[in-house]
Amino acid sequence: MLVRPVSVTDLPALLALVREAGPGFTTLPANEEQLFHRVRWAQRTFAEQVERADADYLFVLEDDDQQVVGISALTGAVGMREPWYNYRVGVTVSSAPDLGIQRQIPTLFLNNEMTGQSELCSLFLRLDHRWGNNGRLLSLGRLLFVAEFTHLFGDKLIAELRGSADEQGCSPFWDSLGRHFFKKDFSQADHLAGSGSKSFIAELMPRQPLYTCLLTEQAQAVIGKAHPNTAPALKILEAEGFAHKGYIDIFDGGPIIEAPMTNIRTVRDSEPLILAIGTPDNRAQVWLIHNRRMENCRITAAPAWQDGNSLIVDRQTAKRLQLQPGDSIRAIPLVNRQLKAVAA
Amino acid sequence: MLVLRPVELTDLPQLQRLARESLVGVTSLPDDAERLRQRVLDSCASFEKDVEDHGPENYFFVLEDLTCQRLVGCSEILATAGYNEPFYSLRNRHYTSASRELNIEHDVPTLSLCHDLSGHTLLRGFHIDAEWVRSPFSELLSRARLLFIGAHSSRFANTVITEIVGFSNDEGGSPFWDAVGKHFFDLPYAEAEKLCGMNSRTFLAELMPHYPIYLPMLPETARDCVGRIHPDGQEAFDILEREGFDTCQYVDLFDGGPTLQARLCDIRSIAQSHIATVKAGSSIDARGRYLVSNDLLKGYRAIVAELDVNPGQPVVLDAGMRAALNVSEGSRIRLIAL
Repeated sequence: MLVRPVSVTDLPALLALVREAGPGFTTLPANEEQLFHRVRWAQRTFAEQVERADADYLFVLEDDDQQVVGISALTGAVGMREPWYNYRVGVTVSSAPDLGIQRQIPTLFLNNEMTGQSELCSLFLRLDHRWGNNGRLLSLGRLLFVAEFTHLFGDKLIAELRGSADEQGCSPFWDSLGRHFFKKDFSQADHLAGSGSKSFIAELMPRQPLYTCLLTEQAQAVIGKAHPNTAPALKILEAEGFAHKGYIDIFDGGPIIEAPMTNIRTVRDSEPLILAIGTPDNRAQVWLIHNRRMENCRITAAPAWQDGNSLIVDRQTAKRLQLQPGDSIRAIPLVNRQLKAVAA
Repeated sequence: MLVLRPVELTDLPQLQRLARESLVGVTSLPDDAERLRQRVLDSCASFEKDVEDHGPENYFFVLEDLTCQRLVGCSEILATAGYNEPFYSLRNRHYTSASRELNIEHDVPTLSLCHDLSGHTLLRGFHIDAEWVRSPFSELLSRARLLFIGAHSSRFANTVITEIVGFSNDEGGSPFWDAVGKHFFDLPYAEAEKLCGMNSRTFLAELMPHYPIYLPMLPETARDCVGRIHPDGQEAFDILEREGFDTCQYVDLFDGGPTLQARLCDIRSIAQSHIATVKAGSSIDARGRYLVSNDLLKGYRAIVAELDVNPGQPVVLDAGMRAALNVSEGSRIRLIAL
């Protein structure tokens, strides 16, 4: 398996993937023209022809039969063209000391505080490939890429996790709040947001702080709660140092998780090493490895072991990375040694 | 014979009974002896005072049944709402949610805490015993205040407002309160109203929500309360509506009940009342029913009387009427048809 930049030849496979992902997967619309546009834009990004504000690094996961089985993406910076909105869950204190009354009311503050930060998005892995290290490779490959090119990204990485919705795709948070200002179903709003209208919809929302006690109980219950389907993705990023700091999506109340660059395991602890070829034995762990290239970026996960400054991998791995012995790589053990192995 | 007159300290025991019986929400009648006593003292001082520009004066009137010297009702005028501490209301306006790009414009009804109504004269504290409800005497109790304002307009603002008690259910709960105020006060409606009557209202500022409340987010039972009147407040509403009061975009922050407003020049009992002189007489060929007042300040009196009124002519009042109004031949009176 390897992770590489998307290319126009991937379009048919992408379309199939996006269709499999379903309507909830809004950042990649199931529309040929829009997909084509996004792919072309990603190619220009990897060719270093776009500004950070417009940078869109779209990766694909390719299996050993050259089939595209997953996608993931990284943006250079959010909110630099159109404002990027979210709610911060703060508190309003209402107190009359003389009467012995004190109320702490969670309050939603509309803000653009994530402006300029880089975002992990568009993650999808085909159901039949959700085993082994595929998920980690697809997700964390992006972090290794960031580690190599930190000057192209912000101080923080953020990720918006899908919020709670019921079996019919209804979002209690949307129904209690957004719906009153943008009079459409959540799925319609979501779809429009995905095709570039999110900031316009956000601008329909009230700017003044909102008391959560005025939301329905169901809505209050889902504030900051990620959809159960996102649990595997969430676990992977939490292990990297991502945490929820009180910011939520304005539509479905889903959590925005974040980490400063300096705190992200893969960014902080990955190191440049020299590629060597050998036969990994029982000393070997699975390493996440990047060939340190931009346009010809190749990232893979493979058994390897470190010997001084060298990382010893098998011939097949070197081939996937398009490298020769003696070439420079950036790498990190895929799973933190200190952590117990977690079932994928 | 029922007569309206300013309250006196000797009225206190009877006032306490009225306070106990009054509708929850009529918070200007505190059910507390000391507070009531202070209210009476303030009123006496207000009637004594020389006023050049309206200030914190409160004019407290009672309706007395002269035949048994029993108080059957009371009502008040606060010269200036918000004089000592802000007078809070909820302003009911639309928030316009628009996006040019999406070609959308929605009006979302919103309630916002404000003290826009500070500075106006406030009618309050209206209570009448059940047996006199929807009688000419409840008109007297309410409208005589307006005749008083007409007689002494320099003591009042140009605009008069009043809050009509909002809806509460049979158990004494308010759906509006439960959806809004309760989250901030952590108290049931009745207790909060009582607290309001007891303490200065500044604690309201400390506790009420300062950010807008978007009506569609509230449960339907709460939305229905906005501008809705308690059945027992209907009469007060009807009387003032006939006087020319109109609902404005303000509701009470506790129960969502409507605030009514009118300019002095639009109030029927002020604009259309006329001055006449008394002619002492013993028999009257009554043609109509009138509210009659003596136009005095400290000695203010008002009654309902069946009279024969002809424009430009003195009005004949019999002995009972003259005694009740404390007037004699040649005295000045103010009257308006009921």
